[in-house]
Amino acid sequence: MTIKKKGDMIFTKSKRNRKEKVIKSIFFIAAIFGVVTIFSILFFLLKEAYPLPTDLWSFLSGTKWSPTESLLFGTYPLIVGTLLVTFGAMALAIPLSIGGALFISEIASSRVRSIIKPAIELLAGIPSVVYGFFGLILLTSWIKDFFGVPTGETWLAGSIILGIMAIPTITTVAEDALKAVPREYKEGSLAMGATRWQTINKVVLPTALSGITAAIILGIGRAVGETMAILMVCGNAAIIPSPLWNTFSPIRTLTSTLGIETAEVPVGGPHYHALFGVAVLLLLITLIINISAVYLLGLLQKRHNATKAKKKKPLLSITLVLKIKKILTSFVLLFLLLLLYLITGLLMTGALVVLGVLLWFMVKKLSQKSLQKIAFSTIGVSIIIILILLGIILSYIFINGTGMLSWEFLTEPPRSLGRAGGISTALIGTMYLVAGAIAIALPIGVGASIYLTEYTKESIMTKIIRTGADLLNGTPSIVFGLFGFAFFVLYLNFGFSLLAGQITLAFMIIPTILRTTEEALRSVPQAIREGSYAVGATRWQTIRRVVLPPAAPGIITGAILGIGRAAGETAPIMFTAVAFSSFFPSSFFEPVNALPYHLFIIATNVPGTAARAAAGGTALVLLLLVIGFYAIAILIRNHYQKTMKW
Amino acid sequence: MTSLLIAVFFSGCVETETPEGLTIVVVGRDSASGTREFFWEHVMEKGDFIDNMLEKNSNGAVYQTVTSTEGAIGYVGLGYLDENVKAVKIDGVMPTIANVIAGTYPISRSLNMYTNGEATGIAEEFLKYLDSTQGQAIVIDEGFVPKTAIRPYMKVEGLTGSITVVGSTTVLPVAQLAAEAFNELYGASLVAVSGGGSSVGVQSAGGGSAAIGMASRELKSSEIANYPNLVKHIVCSDGIAVIVHPSNTYVEDLTVEEIKAIYEGAYTDWNELN
Repeated sequence: MTIKKKGDMIFTKSKRNRKEKVIKSIFFIAAIFGVVTIFSILFFLLKEAYPLPTDLWSFLSGTKWSPTESLLFGTYPLIVGTLLVTFGAMALAIPLSIGGALFISEIASSRVRSIIKPAIELLAGIPSVVYGFFGLILLTSWIKDFFGVPTGETWLAGSIILGIMAIPTITTVAEDALKAVPREYKEGSLAMGATRWQTINKVVLPTALSGITAAIILGIGRAVGETMAILMVCGNAAIIPSPLWNTFSPIRTLTSTLGIETAEVPVGGPHYHALFGVAVLLLLITLIINISAVYLLGLLQKRHNATKAKKKKPLLSITLVLKIKKILTSFVLLFLLLLLYLITGLLMTGALVVLGVLLWFMVKKLSQKSLQKIAFSTIGVSIIIILILLGIILSYIFINGTGMLSWEFLTEPPRSLGRAGGISTALIGTMYLVAGAIAIALPIGVGASIYLTEYTKESIMTKIIRTGADLLNGTPSIVFGLFGFAFFVLYLNFGFSLLAGQITLAFMIIPTILRTTEEALRSVPQAIREGSYAVGATRWQTIRRVVLPPAAPGIITGAILGIGRAAGETAPIMFTAVAFSSFFPSSFFEPVNALPYHLFIIATNVPGTAARAAAGGTALVLLLLVIGFYAIAILIRNHYQKTMKW
Repeated sequence: MTSLLIAVFFSGCVETETPEGLTIVVVGRDSASGTREFFWEHVMEKGDFIDNMLEKNSNGAVYQTVTSTEGAIGYVGLGYLDENVKAVKIDGVMPTIANVIAGTYPISRSLNMYTNGEATGIAEEFLKYLDSTQGQAIVIDEGFVPKTAIRPYMKVEGLTGSITVVGSTTVLPVAQLAAEAFNELYGASLVAVSGGGSSVGVQSAGGGSAAIGMASRELKSSEIANYPNLVKHIVCSDGIAVIVHPSNTYVEDLTVEEIKAIYEGAYTDWNELN
């Protein structure tokens, strides 16, 4: 029998502790990365925006944006444009998405659901430049011919494209919220004799309300931050539509201003500073939107927990809530009436109001059964519209692109500006960019989520970290682009380079990885960790041997989603890494070609039918690549959800 | 939500009531574009563009919009002219390379490359190649206006390494094709070309990340202050053609004053120009 000296024990223990401490601090650094990034983005944008070529008030309220000729830097029309396009997009997307979400979570049979749900999730992956390509070639001429307006490049076109783009985001998040409604609520309602529609309308929807609101806000965030598609279809005239509801007016958003002007602007001039001012403005707007989404989702969580643990007294009494609701509805009604009057005049408004009242009475008289029929068919129609819209876009891209697909197209470098040859440099360039981005983002994202789930309890610190990640997630991709340009390209003097692009993309996808990893880690039951501690394992040993292996599929899913997102984005690499070239980069400090940029250039920059055909082929390859990544991620996730049992 | 749909419906009704004629849709380039700056100085005489001008960030995007919009008018480089758009005569002169060389076509400008100090090594040879008969043949092929002094390029010995040429998307086609031919001549990948925009070109050449920067404009004062050593090298000239939709029968010939008036918004319908 050997006796260990006391000193030895202390030594090994403290060594073990030190190792644990080091590991913990590494994870902590990864965790606060998101917060640091948000602040450094804000800092560098502000730094480059200073000195603003005009005073703040005329920057915000000036009605003319003419940065080179009249040296007027009024962003008011751009702000109005952004709001109007977003408003139109939401008018299209919100009803359709909520209908779609209701269909998936409440009506569809589990078989239909298992097809439609991943299909809509896949659509979230369609790169925005592909939407823009479709909008530019088809949608704008449809609008022009159908409405007989001089040009189809209008507010309406932008809203339709943005609306379609926002549908998958809103549908998925809203569906999550609906799914989170406890089963007992529904069963209780049904047991009382309510119809399914009554249950949905009076129980499910109100319970999921804050989640649905958060979904809508996230959709708004996505719409406000969208660049490439909007830039290609809106006409970009920096005017306020006159009259304001003239949906056939061309319009310009904050993002498209950045998208079209940044690449050519002389660095350090007044126009340059003004553009960074626009970027700051855009970032602040999206920050406000996202903070409110974060807040609402937090509310949802709290309520969820509260119902689980113990009932808290509601903050407002029910009668008060009802009163507030009444006041709010009457305000909204008044506003709508006013709008209607402005648009159609008195007579028409009167007729419509009478019609509306009649309709309302009719609805009141209907039996619950027929009401349910009407409601369900409306929901059915909305899901059909969603599928048709997305079907049109996908089939257009497929029909236009399949003729170009060949082995040569994939493996040869472009010649004669993409009109001949293939897309190998773009394809490989995208691979390089994505590989670099994931190599940087994966350790940081996974590290941060390990810190959040394994090393801390909920505290102010974790709240800050998580909010940082959420805000980073909602930051428009073009803002990342300008930040990358200011920080990597100029400040660190990387130049237009592969490395600058990789890091910028990495920043963009860290939140995606963080969130999915966190979800995966949380799904590992606490009991398993406790078992590991009980046999004497340290925290790091537990994480490495016990927690990470079962969470691996979830982490891989996150990584692949990140890859898909990085592969499809144009705006973050446009000012940091890409160049239209037929060469492969030989070092990290050379520019590369990339698929979305290649598509953007040959669709908008190269004349001739050959270029059009090549653009069709490139769009298809890009679509297949990105959707392929998304499909793999969804498959892994579904498989893992089905097979994982504790 | 419904109110928007109604708005769409009714404004649609209002818009379709236009009398016969064709509404002018003015298409131009973005504020940072070198082409726009040139157009503004030489056609607009520094007057304001109409507010509802559609703004595009490339020649190709302008071309794209004009081909699909009956009432559109736009301006692009000569290289973009084809049967899908109709080039307008200016003061009776067709926008052709010959007319630009002869000096009768009024709107043309030079396309430039910049090096930090005098070019040496591969950069020097590549610029020589662009000046040669081979280089200027590419210029003609891409629809730009060649320079006059011409002699064939002779391959030199001992050229190794590689350089990058970065910048203006307008100059890109010429540089790209010249680089392909140049690399083939030497059997090595000596020159890599990429786009990005004029400012990127100037900045990359001045900052040293590229050997040659391409720009479709002259240097701005801020750029001269930042990079005092940049040397300009004219590659070729570019005529700016004014284009309309091929189905536009209202105009064949415009004066510079009329174009200016259109871009200022003095006319709203093509039949006012008859």
